[in-house]
Amino acid sequence: MSRVVYLHVGAPKTGTTYLQDRLAHNQAALRRRGVHYPIGLHASHFRPALDVLQQPWGGLQVDVDGEWDALAARVRRLTGRVVISHEILAAAKPVQVRRVMAGLRDSEVHIVYSARDLARQIPAEWQEGVKHQRKVAFGSFLRQVQDAKRVKPTLWFWRVQSLPDVLSRWSQGLSPDRVHLVTVPQTGAPRDELWERYCRAFGIDPAWAPEESERENVSIGAAETYLLRKLNRRLRQAGLPSEDYRRLVRELVVHQTLAQRPNMTRVTLPPAAHGWAEEVAEEWVEWVRGSGIDVVGDVDELRPLPAEDERWVNPDRPRRLEMVEAAVDALVALTLEAARRPDPHEQIGARIGRAARRLLPR
Amino acid sequence: MGDPVDGPVDGPVIGPLPPGGRRVLVHVGAPKTGTSFVQDVLWLNRHSLAEQGFLYPAERFDEHFLAALDLLELPWGGLERQAVGAWDRLAERVRAWQGTAVVSHEILATATRQQVRRALESFGDAEVHVVLSARDLVRQIPAEWQENVKHRRTVGYGEFLDRITDPHRTGELASWFWGVQEVPDVLDRWGGTLPPERVHLVTVPKPGAPRDLLWQRFASVLGLDASALAPETNRSNASLGVPETALIRRINERVNNGVLRNEDYRELVRELLAHRTLSLRTGSPRLGLPPDVRTWAVDLSEEWIEVLTERGYDVRGDLDELRPDRIAPAFSDPDDPDRDDLADAAVEAVVTLLDEVARLQGTERRLAEDLEAAYVELERSRSLRFRAKRRLVLEADRRRALALALAAYRRLRRSSSRSA
Amino acid sequence: MTYLQDVWSWQQHLRSGGSTSWREWLLTDRTGVAVPAGWSEPGAAQLEVVRRLALRRLGGPGSEDRPGAFADLADLVTSRSGPGRGLGQQPLAWGPEGTGSGHPGEGDPLSGRFPASTATSRRHRVGAPPVDPAEVPLEELVRVGVGALTELLLDPGAPPDGDRHSRRRAPAFGRMTGTAPFLLDGAPVTVSAVRQALAAAGHSKPGAASGVVLLAEPFDQALAQAWSARVQHGSPARWAGFVARWSGRLELPRSADLPTLARTWADRVGAAQVHVVVATGGVQEASRVAAEVLGLRTGRRATPSRQHGTAALPPAGVDVARRVNAVLGVRVAPPEREAALRRLVRTLPAGPARMALTVPGRFQARVLERAERLATAVREGGYPVHGSPGALVPGFSGLPTRPDLQDTLEVVLATCLGLARRPRSEGAVSGG
Repeated sequence: MSRVVYLHVGAPKTGTTYLQDRLAHNQAALRRRGVHYPIGLHASHFRPALDVLQQPWGGLQVDVDGEWDALAARVRRLTGRVVISHEILAAAKPVQVRRVMAGLRDSEVHIVYSARDLARQIPAEWQEGVKHQRKVAFGSFLRQVQDAKRVKPTLWFWRVQSLPDVLSRWSQGLSPDRVHLVTVPQTGAPRDELWERYCRAFGIDPAWAPEESERENVSIGAAETYLLRKLNRRLRQAGLPSEDYRRLVRELVVHQTLAQRPNMTRVTLPPAAHGWAEEVAEEWVEWVRGSGIDVVGDVDELRPLPAEDERWVNPDRPRRLEMVEAAVDALVALTLEAARRPDPHEQIGARIGRAARRLLPR
Repeated sequence: MGDPVDGPVDGPVIGPLPPGGRRVLVHVGAPKTGTSFVQDVLWLNRHSLAEQGFLYPAERFDEHFLAALDLLELPWGGLERQAVGAWDRLAERVRAWQGTAVVSHEILATATRQQVRRALESFGDAEVHVVLSARDLVRQIPAEWQENVKHRRTVGYGEFLDRITDPHRTGELASWFWGVQEVPDVLDRWGGTLPPERVHLVTVPKPGAPRDLLWQRFASVLGLDASALAPETNRSNASLGVPETALIRRINERVNNGVLRNEDYRELVRELLAHRTLSLRTGSPRLGLPPDVRTWAVDLSEEWIEVLTERGYDVRGDLDELRPDRIAPAFSDPDDPDRDDLADAAVEAVVTLLDEVARLQGTERRLAEDLEAAYVELERSRSLRFRAKRRLVLEADRRRALALALAAYRRLRRSSSRSA
Repeated sequence: MTYLQDVWSWQQHLRSGGSTSWREWLLTDRTGVAVPAGWSEPGAAQLEVVRRLALRRLGGPGSEDRPGAFADLADLVTSRSGPGRGLGQQPLAWGPEGTGSGHPGEGDPLSGRFPASTATSRRHRVGAPPVDPAEVPLEELVRVGVGALTELLLDPGAPPDGDRHSRRRAPAFGRMTGTAPFLLDGAPVTVSAVRQALAAAGHSKPGAASGVVLLAEPFDQALAQAWSARVQHGSPARWAGFVARWSGRLELPRSADLPTLARTWADRVGAAQVHVVVATGGVQEASRVAAEVLGLRTGRRATPSRQHGTAALPPAGVDVARRVNAVLGVRVAPPEREAALRRLVRTLPAGPARMALTVPGRFQARVLERAERLATAVREGGYPVHGSPGALVPGFSGLPTRPDLQDTLEVVLATCLGLARRPRSEGAVSGG
């Protein structure tokens, strides 16, 4: 076979945004080395991945019918190495996995799955939900996650995050050396460590993709997330259109303002849940060791770090003053944004006038 | 000046016009005593009043404010440039009027003796009356701090109280406060050269009094028929609660130093957030005085009442109303507000602003689409040349007219929040 | 003696040119004082300004006075109050109640604290607290002085003083600079000074070389000069406010934004023709370099007038001008405003091109960081640079961070005396 396809199927919140953006930035350079990242005119493989899952996506009415087949067809025209990456693929059901594999049957397919310990994943997934206008409290979210079944899961969290389950679904019929687990380094590792691990999994020399990405899925603190939840509730009442929510709340308020605040109190797992998280991690480590798949990184990184000494801050009851400070930051950013708007009538009237006068006989 | 007025001083009418046929009533303050309300009534009814021989000399509703800036030589965020010559123009119209004229602005209270002299002399032979409306200090002090905060100052409440209670009155803040609020001194500066019966003190009724009682008192001084002028204006200087004021002060700390332009502050922070959003929140604790300052204010009020009684001014209402209430509600400190209340107010404000930004962006997008359409039309017109071009120029001019109207509207809306 | 009698008699003493302090005045023997009807007493600050003027006049060239000039000036000061915001007008601290005037040996004549004019006010603490005029804050004296100064500048009766002379010469200078045979840009005060130095040395038309010289100063100095230029164009901004406003923004005043300035010129004449001259060596040195770089030829010498370009004023001079601008803004329409300001700038004392002023401490870190970025941009911009771009980063050491208030007052007093000395038409002094 003259084609090797690396299918990166998740999990979410494991630096996938950065990875996909960096691949996109270096698409041409990589192609010269025989590595293809076929995204076409789109920014990512989101649409084909959604086509695979066959499910609606957050109120988004997108027509993605045929996107996967189109991607598969394009892949079949390529030779060399091909990377396909989208984190929602982790949720695919066995029948959907079979459809994907069928589309790639004349390729050597490798599955890549990246994973991070639960003490970091649970707060991150919760925060992501809040950033998509959900208002569930951290405590309820954690309880849901703890109570749900992790084998043949129905809860979205486990469909994408349950390592043994995802890999069992995706590695059907593959030999273990074609299944690669990338572990996310613990905090404090060198900046490029994760990127280099991905490269190793895909068999790419990091130097082939020199241009770095600016995009990072930023995180915000406990008080900031709480503020956002309160906002979500009020915005639902106020009926802010989702397009405005994306542009103003997620982009301006969260990414450009709240995420820039210094000394935020991180959202962490309550000490009481650590024992449970360690048990789950132990299951995963055992599963990985027994399966004989290729581990890029260190399987022990899947174990949560012991709870920190400082007193745990309940994200559902953050320090109010921090929240007020965050809100004032948001207020200032929004005030400036409102003030930045030029007088549109004046501007546009003048522009039309100029354009029209250009055509008048002098 | 003419002779002292004959006739009753306690009655509803000041007395017949003096021999020269001219009289001017100068209403000099104080802020937060219903002054904007009186000004609105006079402004809205100025034409019918003129027919009855009563002049409120104003072509624009903030004309007396500009005249006061001129008289006091007071810079006001650039606005003073529109005030050049405004006092003399106002005085000229007063001098030319047969009958009674009214001049009213609350910042006039700060005038020095020299400025008062210039003002009174500018009225020519008209018989001058000075009117001051006053409210008890325990209500005035928090209101003044709130005004400070709404004018993007960052001074904390504790510091504000320290400065105004310092007997040396060092610094501009204390000087301004006493300049507009010290009732006996304001009346001494403005009325020192007038017979006491031409100095009129209108007291603001206590909460719970009939709603139009204050207006009736004003009307009796001005010699107007209170019931004929239905006081229906929508401009009320709504007050903010403790957490709301604390929030605005925090915003001020962040948007000063050139971050936000004055006109944007007026429109977005003062108008949109303070007046149209936060002042509507009910249930927040109201601003009061801490016990020690309260005691001090009560003692001072007693002294004032004694001084004012001796002066023999024409009081409309009752000097007792300047005496603060005995019962003090629990004090809620805006320098250390309830965090939950503050957080709620902040969320409310963020939502309001999100809405406003979304609306502004929406407007901009729609206009951009219009522009796009216009360009398309322009392209098409290249073949038709002249006729289409003409039409586009007309269209552009129509839009410019729209833009001017919009700009004028905004200016009006901004200036409606101008006051001391 | 009553309070009013004492104040009236002191005012008479001062307007006749006397300079006895209030405290001493109350110790002198004064009898038979009749206060005229309709007189209203000035505040402590106004009377103290008159006294400072009298003191200063004694030390200066008082003999040239037109008769009555000082009394007119004194009346102007006491007839109007200080413009803008400030302290309430304070009465003068006066002898204790009941003891009448303080006679020599009777202890402190100023021990009574509240001597206001009405009986009740005296018993109660009403009105601004009284003050010994000698202790009125400088800021208040400056405020009152600036009010009088503005009045003198607007005086319609004043002749157009020395500017008739320079106005005649202006066209020659205008021809020289108006057609811009060579281009200078950058720190505005330095630019004007170098332009004058070049003209004085007879440099005019460029020879073979031509281009643009950007005169660069350390960033804090560039800001100070930008402030001076803005004030000379009518801005009422105070120094700290000016710095604060710019430190909150991304953009910079045009003349201080060297990279943008250089880029703009480079677009027109090419980067190789944009010479950045670091002017830290002084005006003479910068002029020499500029003449060399531009290949200027020596020609007819000209004596340029100070009224063109941005005048080199000391910080106190700029401070006076910005205060006057604030009053002019509310007093007169733009054309008169400009005329009065031009008149003031001509009258103010000159200073060196380099202003003795740096930014207040709380802005220094930000200014430093900004200056380093500017220096880097200049260094890497591909322009010929004469001098070290590193010198654009300010050192802050030893420089005052604001105009000295005492200096400001001195400038106000001297300028008032200078303007009042000239002949004036009848009735030019208006009351308030």
